[in-house]
Amino acid sequence: MMRIEEHPILKSFNKGNLVTFEFDGKSLMGYQGEPIAVALKANGVMIHRFTSKHQEPRGVFCAIGRCTDCVMIVDGKPNVRTCVTSLAEGMKVETQYGLTKKE
Amino acid sequence: MLMKRYELIVIGAGPAGLCAAIEAAANGMQVVVYDENSRPGGQLFKQIHKFFGSKEHKAKERGFRIGEKLLDEARELGVEVVLNATVMGVFENKEITVMIEDRVEHIKGNEIIIATGASENMLPFPGWTLPGVIGAGAAQTMMNLHGIKPGNKILMVGSGNVGLVVGFQLIQAGCRLEAIIDASPRVGGYGVHASKLARLGVPFYMSNTVKEAYGEGSVKGVSIVEVDKNWQQVAGSEKTFEVDTICIAVGLSPMSQLAKMTGCIMEDSPAKGGLVPVCNEYGETSIPGIYAAGDVSGIEEASSAMLKGRIAGSAISYNQGYLEENIFKENQAKYRSSLEQLREGMFGHKNKGRTDLLNTEEGFEISLNLLENGFLADVEIAHYPGVVSQERRKQGIVPVIECTQNIPCNPCQDACEKGCIKVGQVITNLPIIDGTAKCTGCGMCVAACSGQAIFLVNEDYAPGYATVGLPYEFRPLPQIGDKGIALDRSGKAVGEAEVISIKSAKALDETAILTIKVSEDLSMKARFFKSSKEVSL
Repeated sequence: MMRIEEHPILKSFNKGNLVTFEFDGKSLMGYQGEPIAVALKANGVMIHRFTSKHQEPRGVFCAIGRCTDCVMIVDGKPNVRTCVTSLAEGMKVETQYGLTKKE
Repeated sequence: MLMKRYELIVIGAGPAGLCAAIEAAANGMQVVVYDENSRPGGQLFKQIHKFFGSKEHKAKERGFRIGEKLLDEARELGVEVVLNATVMGVFENKEITVMIEDRVEHIKGNEIIIATGASENMLPFPGWTLPGVIGAGAAQTMMNLHGIKPGNKILMVGSGNVGLVVGFQLIQAGCRLEAIIDASPRVGGYGVHASKLARLGVPFYMSNTVKEAYGEGSVKGVSIVEVDKNWQQVAGSEKTFEVDTICIAVGLSPMSQLAKMTGCIMEDSPAKGGLVPVCNEYGETSIPGIYAAGDVSGIEEASSAMLKGRIAGSAISYNQGYLEENIFKENQAKYRSSLEQLREGMFGHKNKGRTDLLNTEEGFEISLNLLENGFLADVEIAHYPGVVSQERRKQGIVPVIECTQNIPCNPCQDACEKGCIKVGQVITNLPIIDGTAKCTGCGMCVAACSGQAIFLVNEDYAPGYATVGLPYEFRPLPQIGDKGIALDRSGKAVGEAEVISIKSAKALDETAILTIKVSEDLSMKARFFKSSKEVSL
């Protein structure tokens, strides 16, 4: 379990409604409004994309929208920074290969 | 179209930017603050530890609460804070271009403050691009803003205050911190922060760097290696850890690109953390009317950033005719002396990067064990003025303050109503315990100490037994009557312990005070409690 149940200082975290979204064709759950990357992490997803030249895996690195390592295809749009983009019900999230989907 | 114009444009809604805006707005100026993030506050809302400094620096308050107060203040003063707004350009004539959603606006200011903060330094090593290698800031963002653990088993790279503070927060979030490593032979951050980790059993591997992170698809482990005096890897000294996350905390660099873009004079200053604009005492760059405040003009703590913001905000108010000269001078003197206080001590400006200090300013020997292993050796404790004699300890409860470095902090002095604790005018002084004053065991000093370095020791508890009151910020909270083991400063189990009281009150601000009963010979050794029910820590 990656989510923090009870925090000694912050107690609990204000989250939106639990919603369903799609990751590479699978149906997963996450909280509306939290970064997509957080919902993926809660589901154990570490790889967000593969680089174009060497097909190396990349995931969350800076978590504040600066490094762009965590970009994915969201609702068909590539290069979306998942660490600063809010999750919404029914969102379609796909692993990015280079700049596109897996061919 | 008429160009939008503000009296003051602030770029960045972190501690420096918000304080600058508040200062100027309080003097009557019309202020706008742009920030590229979806939430204001910069990194303040990720800071869940109690801050250092004195009352005027909001010491012993947790960072996120300071952030909430600043936002309230800005709101009340009518500061316009525009979020998701990335400033793309700052020009000499005090115009900016800012991207808000999908459009670009062109705005003019009478004056501009650049308060863009800092970015994390990185450390490349084989495997550093694997998912699971993250910045320490990323760890804070995930656990403290979004309530998710960055990983289960973690290696922290870097023993500066960021590495130490984030390391502690990882444990608070329920992660296991396997070790802290640093290429430097000595712990870079405050000894008190290191001690908080050491007593939980986190090992410090100094003079070590990452050799390689390995794993298919994501981090499964890491090997570290010793480095010699010339920073060369020592063959055969490798150690490996099974971890799923490697957290990098190897310093910050000023995010000064926008400043540079204005064409102002820049300097590359190692003491300030990198490329920074050259500023006068008010934070004004070489271009009149363009200021820099906070980490962008030199890496310091958030408390200093807030003061640098206030100094710039007040100078601009004066320039724009919103502040009388005498009040301006008064304010500047006040903020400057406050800032100078934070810059004193062995971690202050003039000692930055020094590793040759052997004594505190008062002449007490600095513990090498603390610098090399993260904890004070038993034999060293009695040397410091925060520790009273055994004779006094035998007479009943008394605070034992294990604060042994000159750091700018004095809330312990204000916390004690009975006058047991004295720091004095210079807030970097080591606290002194007055053994003749009557300690009531209230615990306010324990909770007020941002470094969690105060323990309430009672060697007059019962024949053969002593009690130790200690700060506790973990969940689940132990219960009265819980049995377990006492850990010493190095995290080693030293004997049996039983919880005899737990104090948690609003005034203690989420720091519980756990009092444990231990064998009398452990009164000056036992510094943490591990319940026998507990498996994880």
